[in-house]
Amino acid sequence: MLFDESTLRKINQLTLVASRVRAGAIKGERRSARRGSSVEFADYRNYVPGDDLRRLDWNIYARLDKPFTKLLEEEEDLAVYIVLDASASMNWREQELNKFDYARKLAAGLGAIALSSGDLLSMAVLQNGRVAAEFGASRGSAALPRFFQFLESLAPQGKTDLNAALRQYAIHPRRAGLLILISDLLVEDGFQLGLRSLLGRGNEVALVHLLAPDEVEPNLAGDLQLLDIETNAAQEVSIDGGLRNLYSARFREWIQSTQDDCRKQGIKYIHAVTDKSWDKVLLLEMRKAGLVK
Amino acid sequence: MQFLTPFFFALSALAIPIILLYMLKLRRVQTPVSSTMLWQKILREKQANTPWQKLKRNLLLFLQLLILAALVFALARPALQTKVIASGAIVVLLDASASMNATDIVPTRFEAARKSAQELIDALSGDAAMTLILAGVAPQTLAAAETDKSILKSALNNAQPSHGAADWRAALALAAGSSRNQNKPVFIILSDGGLPTENLPALPGDVRYLPIGLSQENLAISAFALRPLNGSARLFVEVRNYGNKDRAATLSLYLAEELLLARQMNLPAHGSASLSLDNLPGGASIYRAQISSADSSAPLDFLPLDDTAFAVYQPAAARRILLVSQGNLFLEQLLAALPGAQSFRALPNSSGALQLPAQPFDLYIFDGDLPAQLPKGNLLLINPTSNELFEVGAEYKDIVEMNVRDHALTRFVDWRNVHLLQARAAQLPAWMFPLIEADSHSLVFAGEQNGRRVAALAFDLRQSDLPLQIAYPILFSNLINYLSPPASFDASRALRPGESLSLFLPAEVERAVIASPSNMLYTLAPGQTIFTQTDELGYYAANLISGESSRVEYFAVNLFDADESNIAPRADLQIGTQTIAPALAAQQGLLEIWKWLAAAALILLMIEWQVFHRKKNFTAHST
Repeated sequence: MLFDESTLRKINQLTLVASRVRAGAIKGERRSARRGSSVEFADYRNYVPGDDLRRLDWNIYARLDKPFTKLLEEEEDLAVYIVLDASASMNWREQELNKFDYARKLAAGLGAIALSSGDLLSMAVLQNGRVAAEFGASRGSAALPRFFQFLESLAPQGKTDLNAALRQYAIHPRRAGLLILISDLLVEDGFQLGLRSLLGRGNEVALVHLLAPDEVEPNLAGDLQLLDIETNAAQEVSIDGGLRNLYSARFREWIQSTQDDCRKQGIKYIHAVTDKSWDKVLLLEMRKAGLVK
Repeated sequence: MQFLTPFFFALSALAIPIILLYMLKLRRVQTPVSSTMLWQKILREKQANTPWQKLKRNLLLFLQLLILAALVFALARPALQTKVIASGAIVVLLDASASMNATDIVPTRFEAARKSAQELIDALSGDAAMTLILAGVAPQTLAAAETDKSILKSALNNAQPSHGAADWRAALALAAGSSRNQNKPVFIILSDGGLPTENLPALPGDVRYLPIGLSQENLAISAFALRPLNGSARLFVEVRNYGNKDRAATLSLYLAEELLLARQMNLPAHGSASLSLDNLPGGASIYRAQISSADSSAPLDFLPLDDTAFAVYQPAAARRILLVSQGNLFLEQLLAALPGAQSFRALPNSSGALQLPAQPFDLYIFDGDLPAQLPKGNLLLINPTSNELFEVGAEYKDIVEMNVRDHALTRFVDWRNVHLLQARAAQLPAWMFPLIEADSHSLVFAGEQNGRRVAALAFDLRQSDLPLQIAYPILFSNLINYLSPPASFDASRALRPGESLSLFLPAEVERAVIASPSNMLYTLAPGQTIFTQTDELGYYAANLISGESSRVEYFAVNLFDADESNIAPRADLQIGTQTIAPALAAQQGLLEIWKWLAAAALILLMIEWQVFHRKKNFTAHST
């Protein structure tokens, strides 16, 4: 079980937000930009001939002797795509701090929110520059156990090539929707091109940038041979205070430039470090970023 | 360059473990990280900035290898070949005579000789032994066949020059003795050459001479004495110029440190000038003579030791002499002429028995007759019969060949014209020694037993022509002065440094305390009659303490040595039959330089430590 009941209850009260909502194929629980025929009351207006009499508010008419038509919110479903980077670099640090476990919990949380709101949930797992596994599309809370099972069956391995994998994912014709990418972004070639192709498909994109604490502030010193667990590449380095300061500076610049890139392209950027509990990220950080409400 | 212990080079193999350790240390700890992407970016940037980073990282290894190299080289004892005076077993004779105090070489000749000796020690090859002999007033061996350079140097540093003439005979004998077990020793004489020109024993080996000294300019007070003359004192002082230039000097005379007289003296090169003063006060007093430069700003000469001299005037106290004789004109006249003597005469009574006065006399002279019991005082026995001191045998005649022994008591005694008719054969006890002998018999003899001095003539003066000869007053003056010294010691005689003073302490004196010019005190126990600590120049005060009363007598020690005052460095030496010219640095010596390498290793170690710490602190600070 990825998380407990109480967390699930808290999560179920949330819904995912896509500011540029796309019209759903079926009526969902999502407010449409248009006023429509759902049961969610929105406003009243004067009756004009030709209006659906079923929407006339007879009670008001009886009281005021004036016909008013109820305006109801149009509700629609949302296509939610969770894209998880499952490369070997995500399998970093132990237990609570493990990035991949953390990412799975975040994905489970987001998936639970989506399913409970009646959205159409799909999930894609990226490994070695392609889509290695997919889930969905599924709708309704009944799909939740299956989704969890899917998540638990995943194992991080292989290299990352986000550009290639995201492009491949974008090529498949899909309903435009909310796409949430969870990744550490630790890739040589970047990820911007892949995200751009997803944006070009009309998707709204959110990026959860997930890092371990020692990637933010490396706890290393001395003459070391660093082994990249993803590429197995070795890098000899003699780390002293000066070099660590340089790392911190370059790391901040990297985060800043990533953030700037995202803002320019209308991508919601959520920075998560695994030493912070994942549900807080879900309930606070993502809410702050406007991804959930 | 050669290496004395080259097998230590095997230690350079230690470089291998150092390099191995270094490689082990530099085998980097493998540390997995999620991604090296950011690190790679940083390193690309950093390496572009500091291309010497790699070199810096190897600085410690480089320093450690340098330290090892310096230590290994130091252990291998590298030595540079240098030209030295001698190599192998060396016996160094260091002249410590007064002339070595000359300042023509700054600071002194002795320091220059010490420096030369130090160089010889430094150049001493590994297993060669050196013997250091200090040729002073009393030569001494400072170090015997020593190979340890530090011991040699400390012995050398303790050596001090004396103020007197060096006893070269003894020094050369010491040198010859100390080298007996050594193979082909080389004798090196560090001296200004003031060695006696003859009678030096030859040395068993190669002798080299290292002359020390530059100048011969020296003025000296060569004589300074006082004699009693008609109840007053007469002073004589002589100043000598040993240099090559005519000089003028101021002679100042002080009586009890009060200036008595100052006179300009002109001294031709190698010449002398003298001065006599009469009618000086007759009391006991100390005179000081000082020569100084006529031009007060310039120093007088290079040897200050002989520019000051002291003389002590000690008027003789009256000696009480008792002559026991039937009548002897020769003796009576002699005693009357003797200065400072008060003579009395005693006659045997009609029965032939001698009645001696009860009060003691300093000297008893018995002419022929002896009392049954000899008095306890000093005795001069003329033509004695057998007595408690020695046996006297029969008379003998036909005395042709007479022999005068060389002794202080026979000094200036010319016996060639003396004729004897007859004499008695005396049997000398062991404590008496003959002064004048005829055939196998002793004619004149003397000796000292238990503080009592006894002299005897084994013939009757009237049976010889001795009283008519020059030898008569001289011999008797010598004998009487020996038997009854005018003072405890002869103050008029100036001692030379190191010369011993013989004291004749009257029986009532319990002890004598002698204060040296530098106020060192020496106590002489009763019965001790020789004082030897006369190394210092100046005047000494002898306090003769008897009961509660005491009196002071003075004596002076002056250089008065022409060989020492003549500071001209000699071109060559004459030892035995050998003439020794100054030596040149001709032999190959070794100058060891391991100390410098060891010092370099130490400095490198300090640098290495500093580098290591800076590196470590940098890392620790940022962790």
